[in-house]
Amino acid sequence: MSEIKKFEKILIANRGEIAIRICRAVIEEGIKAVAIYETPDNESRHIYIANEAVWIGPGPRKDYLDIDRVIWAAKKSGCQAVHPGYGFLAENPDLPRACEQEGLIFIGPPVQVVQDLGDKTIARRLAQEAGIKVIPGSSILPEGEDKVSSALSFSKQYGYPVMLKAVAGGGGRGIRRVNNDAELLEQLPLAEKEAISSFGDGRLYLEKGLIRPRHVEVQILADNYGNVVHLGARNCSIQRRHQKLVEIAPGMLQPDLENEICQTAVKFARYAGYRNAGTVEFLLDHDDQFYFLEINTRLQVEHTVTEVITGIDIVRRQIRITRGLPLDISQKDVLCRGFAIEVRINAEDPKQNFAPESDKVVSVYQSPGGPGIRLDGMVYQGYKISSSYDSLLVKLTVYGFTWADATSRLERALRNFVIVGPKTTIPFYIKIVQEREFLSGQFDTEYIDRHPELFDYRSIEREEAKIAKLLGHINHKKYNPFAL
Amino acid sequence: MFNRILPNTPPEDGLRILRESKGYFITNTARDLSQSDFKNRILPHTDFMVASERDEAGFFSLEITGGASVHVDLLRKQINPFERLRLLRQKMPRTMFQTLCRGINLFGYRPYPENVIRITVQEFAKYVDVWRVFDFLNHVPNMIPVFEEVKRAGKYLEPTLCFSTGPEHTDDFYVGKAKEIMDITGKDIILAIKNHSGLGSPARISRLVSSLKSSFPDLIIHYHGHNTDGNDIGRIVAAVQAGAKIIDAADHAMTGFFGPPPLMTVVDMLAEDGYNAEGINLDAVIETNNKLKKIRPAYSQFESQFKGFDPTVHIHKLPGGAMGSSFEQALKGNFLDKMPDILMKELPKVHIELGNFWSVTPGSQILWTTAVSHTLSGKRYENASQDLKDLMLERYGPFPFRKPSDDIYRTVFGPEWRDIVKNEAYAEKTNPIDIELEREKLEKAIYRSCDIEELVLYLQHPRDTVEFFKFEEEYGKTYVLPPEIWFKQGGFTSGDVVTFEDYKGKHHQIVFGESSVREHDVVTYLTINHHPEPFVYSKDDDNNKSIKQVELTQKQIAELAEMGEIRAKLAGVITEVHVKENDVVNEHDLLMTLEAMKMLNNIASTIDGVVKEIAVKNGQGVKQGDLLIRLKPKKSN
Repeated sequence: MSEIKKFEKILIANRGEIAIRICRAVIEEGIKAVAIYETPDNESRHIYIANEAVWIGPGPRKDYLDIDRVIWAAKKSGCQAVHPGYGFLAENPDLPRACEQEGLIFIGPPVQVVQDLGDKTIARRLAQEAGIKVIPGSSILPEGEDKVSSALSFSKQYGYPVMLKAVAGGGGRGIRRVNNDAELLEQLPLAEKEAISSFGDGRLYLEKGLIRPRHVEVQILADNYGNVVHLGARNCSIQRRHQKLVEIAPGMLQPDLENEICQTAVKFARYAGYRNAGTVEFLLDHDDQFYFLEINTRLQVEHTVTEVITGIDIVRRQIRITRGLPLDISQKDVLCRGFAIEVRINAEDPKQNFAPESDKVVSVYQSPGGPGIRLDGMVYQGYKISSSYDSLLVKLTVYGFTWADATSRLERALRNFVIVGPKTTIPFYIKIVQEREFLSGQFDTEYIDRHPELFDYRSIEREEAKIAKLLGHINHKKYNPFAL
Repeated sequence: MFNRILPNTPPEDGLRILRESKGYFITNTARDLSQSDFKNRILPHTDFMVASERDEAGFFSLEITGGASVHVDLLRKQINPFERLRLLRQKMPRTMFQTLCRGINLFGYRPYPENVIRITVQEFAKYVDVWRVFDFLNHVPNMIPVFEEVKRAGKYLEPTLCFSTGPEHTDDFYVGKAKEIMDITGKDIILAIKNHSGLGSPARISRLVSSLKSSFPDLIIHYHGHNTDGNDIGRIVAAVQAGAKIIDAADHAMTGFFGPPPLMTVVDMLAEDGYNAEGINLDAVIETNNKLKKIRPAYSQFESQFKGFDPTVHIHKLPGGAMGSSFEQALKGNFLDKMPDILMKELPKVHIELGNFWSVTPGSQILWTTAVSHTLSGKRYENASQDLKDLMLERYGPFPFRKPSDDIYRTVFGPEWRDIVKNEAYAEKTNPIDIELEREKLEKAIYRSCDIEELVLYLQHPRDTVEFFKFEEEYGKTYVLPPEIWFKQGGFTSGDVVTFEDYKGKHHQIVFGESSVREHDVVTYLTINHHPEPFVYSKDDDNNKSIKQVELTQKQIAELAEMGEIRAKLAGVITEVHVKENDVVNEHDLLMTLEAMKMLNNIASTIDGVVKEIAVKNGQGVKQGDLLIRLKPKKSN
């Protein structure tokens, strides 16, 4: 058995709610948590929840993305390990590489795994080698004049719709759906430019589009001793432009099918020599055929729903696996009971294309409580929505023993929020949780597009708060501007 | 035993009760009083406050909607006019509601398409029992669609003779008009005499009512007048003595100078002569007015700055409903000193020159605007408004007595005036509009579906209806606030307490706290139901507001693009500009790329032309409607 490492301190190379989530696990493991922050974040909640904090630069964003500064902060504060969270540097193999060089331990898979599986073409090839179906796709489109002809010939072979994807894309970014030759010709150059500007890599490939596809993913834990378990599936089909909006555990599939998918994910993780926590993503076609999509070599936003229905703390397992401890759970210990739903409460106006409510101040914040409610948030009364970072205020995860328990609890919890200042996605989620298809557990990735009426809602602000606003105006203007 | 006419009494029964009753009936014209003496500002809160007393008082009807009130509800009272009627009906189950409808002009100032008229009447008829319908030219065809819909809805139809004075305004003329109306409506109507300026002596009104009654003995006549000269009670008494069955008057605690006279005075005077006010409960009237007396001071800022009766109305003939607004306009336009000239000289002159028709909406506005323009500019008829031109082209209807002189036509339309009149008169018929298309527009503007009532409001006042819905979404149902809060001047002080009951029946208390001034904003702590919450008032708000008002719609952006002015359809960042100034571009050529919501969007040329101005740089963030590029269209010749 290899050496069991002991961590005194862990640096959390992230901000916002995920930094807080990791802090909690670190502290529960008896280790000290060190936060980093850029200047615009100097009142951010994660700083206060961590045991120590290191300022890494004026930002915004660029210093969180600066590996040298992260390493510097870790060494300066005497950390032994670095947790990347999600986003920022989480999938950049240069971070684990730099950690290795500097004698720090990266909480996540080994460098080579991050590097190989982050490349979607390699991940697909591995899946195929393991005997797992992948969505029919082209090889990387050649440079120059052959690009268009090879794209057209792929489309001819498999038929439209076809998905145009950036090799280096991810998290829903860098994907375009094209429905005919004309659109393909128009979108190719745009997609390439977008890929270069977003990911620094303009290479593209094509994939067959599925009909009413469902997005189901499997949470994996793998230790250094060959133990691989899955923590069940999640259904993240409700998406908007490939960005997940509502995430559910379990996978909302027939038990046999769900089990088959979970076993397939374990098979893949074993074949790929995976370690630490990861997520294997699949797309299901309308005929229940499922295809390997990709693997995320990091903690995911929606890990909370799995934690809620299994009772297993994924982040604490990540830390222990990295320390060299064997997994303390076997597959038979993993019991999925009931249903969990997570929604991301963002300071955005769904009616304005989910535009962030930048610079608005949350003047009142009250959160729901009571049975079956989990909150992962970073918002507080007085919080100002920053235009530099994402607009997530708090993730709400609810638990119910039945699907109906979970959905009614979700509506109740959403209605119990009081958030004054910015518009939020809450009323939009209330519409979803009242919608029939959702309540019957039927959804696919086109759900939002199929239900434009979800945007048809009125403000849910308290009546007395609305009238108080008017009184505020009458007071400051010295007359009622709406009575003239 | 007196048989009260209730909102659900069918018109045939109600009309029989009216015909068979020995006494007369009273309509409480609360809406007209508000419009004439309080610049239309009496709030629903006040009407709700005295609703049960007024319901007890036994009026034939409460005139509570119509005229300008529909627009003002949306514009200044921030209440849905339908919701107001619904709430009032709950509180007043036994009193009929009456409206004043401007025929083809509905509750607005210009003719509406016939399908809009019909749908509007259908929706309001769900709440309104008595429909007084008039046309400022007494042009009966202008009222027919409303007549038909009121009949179809099974409500009381009250066609109207607008009344005025002068050699043309003979009894024969009015009897002829009454016949013209009844040829269309049949005999089961109430006929209103609308003396909106309070003209004529009691003897004149007596003769008119007698003439109508001798030609149509069964006709139920409803006399409506204004007390501008201080003598409407004389005319009311004469009308009742001559056979009018219903008269208009108002609550004495609120009466002023230009609106209806106090109804209790009418009751007492006529009682002396043996005329009984049917169904009237004077105790309830007194109770109503005791309550109103207390609230009147909250409205004092809206009473006319011109105090006292105005017998010169016999010369200028301004309707009571326009008196307050005329003086307000003179004050704001800084021409109060010119008012004697306007009212005593120019307005009567213009009135006669344009044919001595009835000075009531929208005719009164046309006369007033023309007279003001003449007096202030010193030039007569040279800068005629479009409304005056439309009037002279008889687009509102034919002149009742005579057309203006050729000289006036020449001044207004130029030397070619005969051709213009020949070719353009009646040219602009209002075509039906696509109501479903309008529904889509409204739903797009308010980001939610609308119901039929909301659509009806939008059809009449598109912009103000949208603004109201936005207000309501932002500030709630504010009609629960009393006038002393709604019209509060000078702000609150720390410790002030506002209590109200919201529309769901929950009581709330808001206590004002201290304010602190910060760099860009002022923060006041409001304690809402014992829970302190900051109210942040941005000092930039006022500036932002003017920017918001010029925010362009997608349709406007598309229209500008067709002219070569290309603006951002959505907010994002310009990632690439593909052209330079003076480049020649063809339609569909790529001009720039905009990244929005993580997607790149092509901005293509909308026309053939030359790049005149590039308003953005690579990497620049843009808001919806921001100018991106200006193209000079290629000459087509």
